[in-house]
Amino acid sequence: MRGGHRTQIPLFLALAGFTAVNLTPVIWGFLTSIKQPVDAFAVPPRFIFAPTFEFHWQVWVEKGFWHFLINSAVISVGTVVTSVSIGTMAAYGLSRLSSTTSRGLLFGLLAMRMFPHILLAIPFFVLARILGLVNTYPAMILALVAINQPFTIWLMRGFFVDVPHELYEAAEIDGCDAWQVFSRVALPVVRPGLWVTALFSLLLAYNEFLFALVLTGPDTKTLPVAIAEYGGEDINYWSLSAAAAIGIMLPIVVFMMALQRHLVRGLALGAVKG
Amino acid sequence: MLFPLGYALWLSLLNYDLGSGSQEFIGLGNYRELLNDARLWATLLRTVGIVLSAVGLEFCLGLLIAYGLYRLTFGVRALNLLLFLPNIVTPVVAALFLRWIFIGRWGLVSGLLIGWGIFPPDFLGDPAWARVTVVLADAWQFTPFMILVLYAGLNTVDQSQIEAAQIDGAGVWMLLFRIMLPAIRPLIVFVLAIRLMDAFRFFDTIYVLTGGGPGTATETITLYTYALAFRLLQVGKACALGVLTLLFVAVLVATMIRIVYRREKGAF
Amino acid sequence: MKPEGINRRYVLRAALAAPVILGGPARAAGTIQMISHRYPALEHYAEVMRGAVPGVTVNTQLMPIDKAMELATIALSSKSDTPDIVYASDTTFQTFVRNGWFRPVDDLWAKYKDEFKLDDFPDSVLAPFRHDGQLYVMPHTLNTMMFFYRKDLFDQQGKAPPTTIAEYRDLAKSFNSPMRAGTISCLKPVDAATNEAHWYLNALGDGWFDNDWRPSFNTAKSVAAIEMLKEVTKYAQQGFTAAANDECTIALQQDTATMGLQWATRAKSMDDPNKSRILGKIDWVKPPQGHGRMGGDGYAISAFSKQDPDVLFRIIATSAGQKSLRDAASLMIPPRKSVLDDPDLVKANRFYPAALASYESGTRAPSLPEFNAIGEFVTRRILQGVTGEMTVKQAMDTAASETETFLKGHGYYK
Repeated sequence: MRGGHRTQIPLFLALAGFTAVNLTPVIWGFLTSIKQPVDAFAVPPRFIFAPTFEFHWQVWVEKGFWHFLINSAVISVGTVVTSVSIGTMAAYGLSRLSSTTSRGLLFGLLAMRMFPHILLAIPFFVLARILGLVNTYPAMILALVAINQPFTIWLMRGFFVDVPHELYEAAEIDGCDAWQVFSRVALPVVRPGLWVTALFSLLLAYNEFLFALVLTGPDTKTLPVAIAEYGGEDINYWSLSAAAAIGIMLPIVVFMMALQRHLVRGLALGAVKG
Repeated sequence: MLFPLGYALWLSLLNYDLGSGSQEFIGLGNYRELLNDARLWATLLRTVGIVLSAVGLEFCLGLLIAYGLYRLTFGVRALNLLLFLPNIVTPVVAALFLRWIFIGRWGLVSGLLIGWGIFPPDFLGDPAWARVTVVLADAWQFTPFMILVLYAGLNTVDQSQIEAAQIDGAGVWMLLFRIMLPAIRPLIVFVLAIRLMDAFRFFDTIYVLTGGGPGTATETITLYTYALAFRLLQVGKACALGVLTLLFVAVLVATMIRIVYRREKGAF
Repeated sequence: MKPEGINRRYVLRAALAAPVILGGPARAAGTIQMISHRYPALEHYAEVMRGAVPGVTVNTQLMPIDKAMELATIALSSKSDTPDIVYASDTTFQTFVRNGWFRPVDDLWAKYKDEFKLDDFPDSVLAPFRHDGQLYVMPHTLNTMMFFYRKDLFDQQGKAPPTTIAEYRDLAKSFNSPMRAGTISCLKPVDAATNEAHWYLNALGDGWFDNDWRPSFNTAKSVAAIEMLKEVTKYAQQGFTAAANDECTIALQQDTATMGLQWATRAKSMDDPNKSRILGKIDWVKPPQGHGRMGGDGYAISAFSKQDPDVLFRIIATSAGQKSLRDAASLMIPPRKSVLDDPDLVKANRFYPAALASYESGTRAPSLPEFNAIGEFVTRRILQGVTGEMTVKQAMDTAASETETFLKGHGYYK
């Protein structure tokens, strides 16, 4: 149905070519992470060199990045669980409201996404200090949930709008209360959508830098902050940043590979009704 | 949940200046000052230019590739994963990766061009090229998001509609524009709206790549906000600028939604 | 079911429950927080601080200066009791002191004078860290811009290092080739560009300000100085408008530029085989006509810290002690006289004589708390002048009027 073999091969090659170009910065970053700076920044670029895993070793073993990985994991999982639960319930509620009301609410929430985050960092810090939460996991999780919520609600709402109303009506006739309609009827239908929302929430939480810089401390520092600390002055640090950046991609890649089937199906199912 | 936003809104009404220590209520004074500020209008205009080119490029490229993937019968899953990778790179370092590609002389692109005997342009130092580079940088990071969402959307289009169109003799492109695009319109609005909102806040990459330069060629509104808050320490004014940005983006997105849904009330 | 209800309740519940569940780690009472810019010398000091006082844990957080200053600004402006020890350069310290964020250390200085041999710091080193007669910072490094040049190339052509900026421009022109730029130029806003403009303005122009803090960077002489800067950039490496110290250092190390102004802290890496392809080929002299930017950094104690000031002072005094400075001597210019004069160190670091000459002929940044802020719009205008968005004269005049407006808003010119 989708075109014969004659078009398939060129199509594949074109797409693969684009993919290759697209990946160049990542690959180049990886090569940089296994070169000494004298090779990494050579003119013209060097493709033959003595590889060194010194920087990867330094990052994970000497500088103790695994500790920050644990922090990142706790914060990411906390954010995903909280944010997806709230998002799901709120989206379900919205999907059953009239569309004018829900549109207004949604737009209000989206305001957070449009405001420069650098300015939100100050209020978040002030708030966290008042609550005594600086350098704790909850502070970071709450901030990330607040930032991420509009997106999850919007995305999840798309999935719920797809659920036929007859299903709800049938359940109500069977005597389900509101909670049961939600948990037994609506939720199972949108399960693939949950994975998609979870992935995007995870990406946001895992890579977030600005709030992490302000709200975390020595006990809760996340990977992006740890990497940014090596962003600067001496070019030895550049190789370190590259090594760390490549390293911290891996958990997400594994997560995506595990979930890929759900992901595409999930997106296909839902977001359409945006 | 909206407390931080409320707090920022409150700050925007103060003459809150860390440099002089003042913290008095001045009502809309900050807004009045900003609206009369030539730098605001110049950066706003430049930002709109950069954002629209970037989001436009991402959408066209994203749609093209998503449609390609949709028509492809093998290797889709692997390509999908690989195409998504740039979106996973931590933004802090993503900009550094791009810098190593684009910087003059020892950057990869320059290096390769020199190797082939072509004298490369100065990608970060020439005003026109710097703008192009910044747009490309944003596209590199966020086209994957477009691809993933649009690809999923294309897969939801009703198969019977497509078959009907093919029987009527619709070609590959006709199919895309006449049948598929209208069918996934809500999704298109969603991705465009999200990307517009994010692109306006786009900061890290430009800050690392060009620092807003050369001159003011790539100074966007967020860079201006940053300069106000952390260089000039005028936090109140910076918050006011944030609120103005918010209003502007909100109007832009609302207009876009209104245009797409002119005839269908309440479909958003 | 009302969605807002779910939301609010859920957030509240999460907020209340989360600390219990996750056991939000309370900060150990003895842990001292330090925040700093990061480069190799400062890394060394951080390590010394961590072990400075037995039984006291010091947590050091080092990051690029702009991020470190953002973080310190957010924390101190809301009077947070962390960090306890804060990095200060001769320019950032002005802003922080003016805002009341640092604690004067004169009392502690007197108390520990003998124990830490504090008389060893020359008064010229301490002077820039005084404000209204009070001392705030324990100096850890001296730094100065020096003139780096390729001795091998100069020798080949029978040329001597320039003694005036005009000579420098002519040499840059004659050495300039497509594959190797005549000079480096580091004009990324804000800090790098400020430093480079500083040299031209002070060596050729009328400097930044007159005695009443009126801008003097737009006088006829100063405009001519920036015109000279613009002329020199014709022979600069590609991407100089986005180049900071890193990019310039690499340009020299990778043999793609011939000479230029750079910090003394970068000198040692020119001879590092892991980073450089021009081992032993660079030599240094003081900047032509002097007046290169000089400065230094150190550490100050936060005014809001709840830790014992004596302990905090011991920590920074130990990391600025003779042994600590000697161990870091190849990475900066040591601020203690006894270390600076040590003949063994001079022998081991061949850039020392030039660094000292540069330091003696150098000029400090204006002692104006607002200087960092002003740098923001002045460098922006200078770059507009350099890239031809407007004439240099226009650019400097605009910057001057912006500066006057800004300073007037901060209570100047009354």
